[in-house]
Amino acid sequence: MTNAFVWTRAAAVARKEVFHILRDPFTLTLALILPVLMVALYGVAIDFNVENVALSVSDSDQSQASRRLIETFASSRYFLVRGVGSPAEAVRDVSAERARACLIIPPRFEKDLLAGRGAEAQILLDGADNSTVGPVAGYVGSIQTLASKQIADFDPPRPYELRTRFLFNPELNSRWFVIPGLAVVVMAILSILLTALTVAREWENGSMELLLSTPVRPIEIIAGKLAPYAVIGIIAQTLVYVMARTVFGVPFVGNQAVFALGAVLCLTTYLAQGIFISVTTRKQQIAMQFAMLTGMLPSNLLSGFVFPIASMPPVFRYLTMIFPARWFMEIARDTFLKGSGFLELAAPFLALTFFCGAMVLAAARRFKRDLEP
Amino acid sequence: MNRTLLGFIRKELIQAVRDPRMKFVLFVAPIIQMALFGVAISNEVKNIRLAAVFDSKDFVLRDVYERSIAGTWFVPAPVSGEDPFALIQAGKADAVLVPPPGGFTRALGRGDAHLQLLTDATNAVQAQAVENYLQSILRQTVRDDLGIVPPDPPIRFDVRVLFNPSLESSIFMVPGVMCMLMLMTTMVLTNIAIVREKELGTFEMLISAPVSPAEVIYGKTLPYVLIGMANLPLILSVAVFLFHVPMRGSFLVLCGASFAFVCTTVAMGTLISTFCHNQTQAVMGGFLFMFPAMMFSGLLFPIDNMPAGIRWMAALDPLAHYLGLLRNIMLKGGDARYVAFHVAVLVVMAVVSVVASFRRFRTTLQ
Repeated sequence: MTNAFVWTRAAAVARKEVFHILRDPFTLTLALILPVLMVALYGVAIDFNVENVALSVSDSDQSQASRRLIETFASSRYFLVRGVGSPAEAVRDVSAERARACLIIPPRFEKDLLAGRGAEAQILLDGADNSTVGPVAGYVGSIQTLASKQIADFDPPRPYELRTRFLFNPELNSRWFVIPGLAVVVMAILSILLTALTVAREWENGSMELLLSTPVRPIEIIAGKLAPYAVIGIIAQTLVYVMARTVFGVPFVGNQAVFALGAVLCLTTYLAQGIFISVTTRKQQIAMQFAMLTGMLPSNLLSGFVFPIASMPPVFRYLTMIFPARWFMEIARDTFLKGSGFLELAAPFLALTFFCGAMVLAAARRFKRDLEP
Repeated sequence: MNRTLLGFIRKELIQAVRDPRMKFVLFVAPIIQMALFGVAISNEVKNIRLAAVFDSKDFVLRDVYERSIAGTWFVPAPVSGEDPFALIQAGKADAVLVPPPGGFTRALGRGDAHLQLLTDATNAVQAQAVENYLQSILRQTVRDDLGIVPPDPPIRFDVRVLFNPSLESSIFMVPGVMCMLMLMTTMVLTNIAIVREKELGTFEMLISAPVSPAEVIYGKTLPYVLIGMANLPLILSVAVFLFHVPMRGSFLVLCGASFAFVCTTVAMGTLISTFCHNQTQAVMGGFLFMFPAMMFSGLLFPIDNMPAGIRWMAALDPLAHYLGLLRNIMLKGGDARYVAFHVAVLVVMAVVSVVASFRRFRTTLQ
């Protein structure tokens, strides 16, 4: 029986690959440092809640009211106030990137306020910087209420109120949103890239032909070559999970098994995709570019990691469905924060299983067609 | 420039674009990516699934709900008399409006109406935006339906957004995508091209040939500077003609800034390549650089409020300087001092990397 899959032969290929990886400690270290570094950097650096916005203030009124208004901005912790002379100078600060916003107080500010006409000041935001415009526009509203109360003693009873309960993330912590997503991004980078490159390297060196002339069958080569990278992928996932829980205190309310199954499905799909790329391209430089195009970029930009899928045009909302990253993103976030089970996550799991099967099949067929006589 | 170097550059250019797939990767893929990502990514809030539980007599809440659905922010979510929390937990809705017992309209008549909003705050920023937006719809609806007008606050702000008054999301995002693509095509390819020679052993051959080490290094790197610069008009025209990103500054200044950036990334790619022995290492090393570079660039996350302890990393990030330059030149017309300063920073980075890689090459090759 020559057609059977022989475990020992696959294991031998796997052992050879492990030696290969161990002999290159640089790559192995990089592969394991990358997830740790990413979680650490993102965890420490990310805060969507913008603070310390540089605000240029031009006060043409120079009255007690205008000074108290500036004081309200300065003490809000959102703004770093910097006084300038004319309104034009304040605007120039924004175009020279010295300020993200400017506050222009007109000369009759206090008079208008005392006369009961209502005083108006102008706020100009820097529309070139996407990450600050939205939040800052939000702060302005609350400062308006606060200033009216403190300066003009204006605090009317409210006939109605909107009370919001922020579910799953009551502290509105952006880290809870981003770090579970990193599990997906790390997976997309490590598993596609490493497998695409190692197999392409065998082609480039010509050692693939050599391997094929031995009694090892193609499917055993694939299994043997993938096994060590699957282990690296699983270790990387575990690192992300442990760091998220212990260092950054991200809650995990769901079932670990659900998350783990999603991770394994996604990992398998990506390993198969890596093999497919390397068999098709057979050159490391091109394999790398395709791995980036089909793995890293979509997992960063089209998976809902930072940019919500619901905001995309309809064509793209459907397009994202072909990326496993999008489905695993849903599984990762929902198991971490919402505690969803298989029932709620039926759609992502079905889709992932489908892509996993399809990709493994495509890779195996491509491999067979190109290799067997 | 001497003839050996010119010949070397020609050889390298031919080698880089010989493979038709490489031509695709170098010149077509960036255009496609520009178009795709420029359309796809945005921070706008859209298509939030909103549900509301109300009976037929509660006309104010119904009006609030209908007005919300009429805009682009919300789409209706099915309500089936379930517990609103379960609706969100099961992923059928993102936000649910729940009136007080007896209905919101009647509670308004009593004078202490609390409308509850339950929202999925997994995405914290979006959840806050949804709250603010519903707040304003609620205010308008109550004013129009019942004539309840909260008194105007005595201090008001007239808020305007400069440079992008309609908050067009492509104008925010496209310069960011541009600089990411410029980085990827130049840095990783340079890195790999050098490491490949090392891996195949042809580097030794080059050294034994009658070319100086400087010629080898310039010959290997300058072609990628050219390729990077050839990409600029391609992606810039996608930005300007397809996405209508304004080009308020001078094209020449933009070219100069891009040239400084491309030189920096190519030089950094060269520096990274001196630490790598095979292409896998080169790619992983490139990633180890590109990831922090992307996150400190200011495109995804605001730099201003990162902890001071790591904000200095943004100052070392060529991508952050280039994104700042692109935005300043394209959207604001380019402030001379700002542009000069950041181009100078890029040039310093390039020079430091070139000097460092020369040193590394000398020690590893001799």
